Amino acid sequence: MRMRWFAAVLAIGLLAGAPATAQTPAAPAEAAAGLRIETQYYTLPNGLRVVLSRDANVPTATVAVYYGIGFRIEPRDRTGFAHLFEHLMFMGSANVPRGQFDRLMYNAGGINNGSTRFDFTNYYEVVPANALELVLWMEGDRMARPVIDQEVLTSQQGVVANEVRVNVLNQPYGGWPWIDLPMLANQNWYNSHNFYGELADLEAATVEDAIGFFNSYYRPNNAVLVVAGDIDYAETRAMIDRFFGPIPRGEPVALPDIREPRQTQERSRVRRDPLAPRPAYSVGYHIPDRGTPEWYAMGLIDQILLQGEDSRLHRKLVQETGIAGSVFGGINMLGNMFNYNGPMLWSVAFVHDPDQSRETIQRAMDEVIEDLRTRPVSAEELTRARTKIRSFLYDQVNSGTRFGLVDLLASYALFDNDPAAVNAIEAGFAAVTPELIQRTAREYLRPTNRSVLLVEPGAAQQGAQQ
Amino acid sequence: MIRRTIAALAALLLVAPVTLSAQSYPPQPDPGATRAFRLPQTQSFTLPNGLEVTLVPYGVAPKTVISLQIDAGNLNEGNQVALADLAGEMLREGAAGRSSEQIAVAAAGMGDQLAINVGQDATTLQLNILSEHVADAVQLIADVATRPDLPAGEFDRVRQNLARSIAVARSQPQPVAEAVLARAYYGDHPYGRVLPAEEQLAAYTIDDVRRFHRDNFGARRARLYVAGRFDAAAVRGAIEQAFSGWAAGAEPLRLPPAPRTGPQVLLVDRPGAPQSTLRIAFPAPAPGTEGDVDMQVMNALLAGAFTSRITQNIREDKGYTYSPGASVSRHPGEARWTFQADVTTADTGAALREVFAEIRRLQTEAPPVEEARGMGTWLAGGFILANASPAGLIQSLASRDLYGLPANWLDTYVPAVLAVDAARISAAATRRLPLDRMTIVVVGDLGAVRPQLEALPELRDAGMRVADPI
Repeated sequence: MRMRWFAAVLAIGLLAGAPATAQTPAAPAEAAAGLRIETQYYTLPNGLRVVLSRDANVPTATVAVYYGIGFRIEPRDRTGFAHLFEHLMFMGSANVPRGQFDRLMYNAGGINNGSTRFDFTNYYEVVPANALELVLWMEGDRMARPVIDQEVLTSQQGVVANEVRVNVLNQPYGGWPWIDLPMLANQNWYNSHNFYGELADLEAATVEDAIGFFNSYYRPNNAVLVVAGDIDYAETRAMIDRFFGPIPRGEPVALPDIREPRQTQERSRVRRDPLAPRPAYSVGYHIPDRGTPEWYAMGLIDQILLQGEDSRLHRKLVQETGIAGSVFGGINMLGNMFNYNGPMLWSVAFVHDPDQSRETIQRAMDEVIEDLRTRPVSAEELTRARTKIRSFLYDQVNSGTRFGLVDLLASYALFDNDPAAVNAIEAGFAAVTPELIQRTAREYLRPTNRSVLLVEPGAAQQGAQQ
Repeated sequence: MIRRTIAALAALLLVAPVTLSAQSYPPQPDPGATRAFRLPQTQSFTLPNGLEVTLVPYGVAPKTVISLQIDAGNLNEGNQVALADLAGEMLREGAAGRSSEQIAVAAAGMGDQLAINVGQDATTLQLNILSEHVADAVQLIADVATRPDLPAGEFDRVRQNLARSIAVARSQPQPVAEAVLARAYYGDHPYGRVLPAEEQLAAYTIDDVRRFHRDNFGARRARLYVAGRFDAAAVRGAIEQAFSGWAAGAEPLRLPPAPRTGPQVLLVDRPGAPQSTLRIAFPAPAPGTEGDVDMQVMNALLAGAFTSRITQNIREDKGYTYSPGASVSRHPGEARWTFQADVTTADTGAALREVFAEIRRLQTEAPPVEEARGMGTWLAGGFILANASPAGLIQSLASRDLYGLPANWLDTYVPAVLAVDAARISAAATRRLPLDRMTIVVVGDLGAVRPQLEALPELRDAGMRVADPI
């Protein structure tokens, strides 16, 4: 469920906000003025939501189509299907023969890719601005008429099986912790199955499955189109009307209940990994619902505890105790805290040496976590946490590809029906008080709300569940 | 049960809309000409101690990237493999009266953490910060690079972290393939020594790190880049104040490698591996020399781009692999072309046969004009994207300077790429990829893979051998 073809590590970086720069209506000179993205937002009669954002700083245009279907929601005996289907959407449409999508894009000087995440599947391109119409024409054609047959399915089953092999099966710590932790921490099947897919399930997928999936979820009324960059608003609207307007609306999408019950008992599991040379520790905590005041507090808690070398866990685990060389994790390990819509974990993970006992490690973790639960953070530390988030947000608008920007806009359109709400993100963080941080930590960083997954080197039945 | 529902819907809905609306869809638009992309103006000056400074006003958000590049990397280690990496890590452990925590807190207060990247030829210190802190950020980078504490008390822990990372790398097939390839290709040159032996790493002391820093970090080897939104006069003042006291130090070390030409076939056993990790390498023209640009366009068409022939063949047609690719890795005065892929164990021989066939096809037939032109356009578009952010532009400028390319290299790159035609692409494949001189590495389940490799004349005749442990 990573990208269609980027290396795994890159895939995380891209949507999580890799470095970059360049956007106009965007950022203000003064920090106090905050993030201001100019947007136009409207809905076509067939239900397709459209977000436009102009910025002529670099003569390119970025296009993204987000479908409201992620890897959580896939048939029970077809794990990995949402991601497999993502691959099929690159295999041609009625007016764009197989192989031509990429070729036309590349030959116009652009790049393109797609990815499958918790709650959406996206397809995106960045091209010299003169190729915008071509891109929209191709995206419109595959939204309306993708070619889905046995030939393309077989080809991509092979590719995806090799993707799983290279990223999971032939790697030490493969799938840890981003597949393992949700499987341990969640009780609802939609949140706790193997998102990448069991190889047998991938092999069992049929053309009928794929056509059904397309008709259920890949309709304009379940999608958001974002166009950002060096564009003319009126011309772009006319193109979108032409290529997307005639696509028929689908049935209303009924999503299953993906809620998780409140966790009241600690969960744990040991995974034996015959390829891993060192043990590893990871923990996940369920977090507050997206968009709530507590969720903003949790975003700041993530900054205070985990993000950056000034963070408390880095100081404790790396600098003070030498337990780990680095610590990673955060909210939504396949994206960021803004681009999902449902139950989510805050995760911490690191590899360590065998001479560090589990007790030593858990004690170090507890010292840091309990301190936050019992003592208010200082104003200075809270300010620093906000600064780190503001810096991240500016990078989204200041990026050469604008992928971070369109991801934010698409997420707030798809999940909140309000892309302009990205301009209110900073205010959400500004309203968080030390008291709210502490209250949020008390409820959500409870030991009974955590799931601890340990990796032990050595052969054994890998994947045995406790 | 969900699947049944979906399947039932499918039967009703699918077929009809396809034929109806396909006919009325508008014709394919023609993109026409690409608009000109102008790189921002840069301002350069040199401090009396030799530090070269480049300022680039760029971007819209109030952020600034500050990057210090020092010609001190693995090349400068002598026989002490990974000492440069150790030195890079030790830089964060305190500098100029600031503790490691104070450094981290200062960087976070500006909106970033200090990135320290140690490469084979250079060490880079970089901050991407909110512009209001630009003067403080310049001072922080100067402190860490020029006046680090290199405290003995932190050394064992930092070395242990590196040992752990190296142990993990040794358990992954791709780093093992890279290390075996580097050793076979570069031999005893520092580029050929990637992973230190455990005992070697254990024998290093803090004095080794201090000596490495003293001998290799100096203004004459360094270049500072600032790109973003900032007040140029104020930044210049901050740079002069922070860096003027830095000793000039030594001239950059020039130590070009003498790669071993193939044929060489090296095998590494990974029992039970579901995939074989492949590397195929040839020498490439050094950066900026005759044939460099031809090589890049040829690489894109053959294996470098997603639309490349090898990717389309062994991934999209055959499904043997997920992430094949190829690239030219570059050093001052030297470059190497490397193809890489992880292919299903059972398809290892078949995948290599296709790779060799695609190379031969390009050598014997010039590609269609449209395909050749398309790859040039793709590289030109990629140039815009690569330079459309302050960090990306800094990377281009730093590469230009590291490889000693002309000042106008960024202006001449796109026309040079677009001038490479089909005949030149084919000629580059013939000249640069002689299949009887390749170096190839296979990390996989040799019990299953070796018979497949022995059936390939290109490998059988080249003398396969199992690589020594890395």
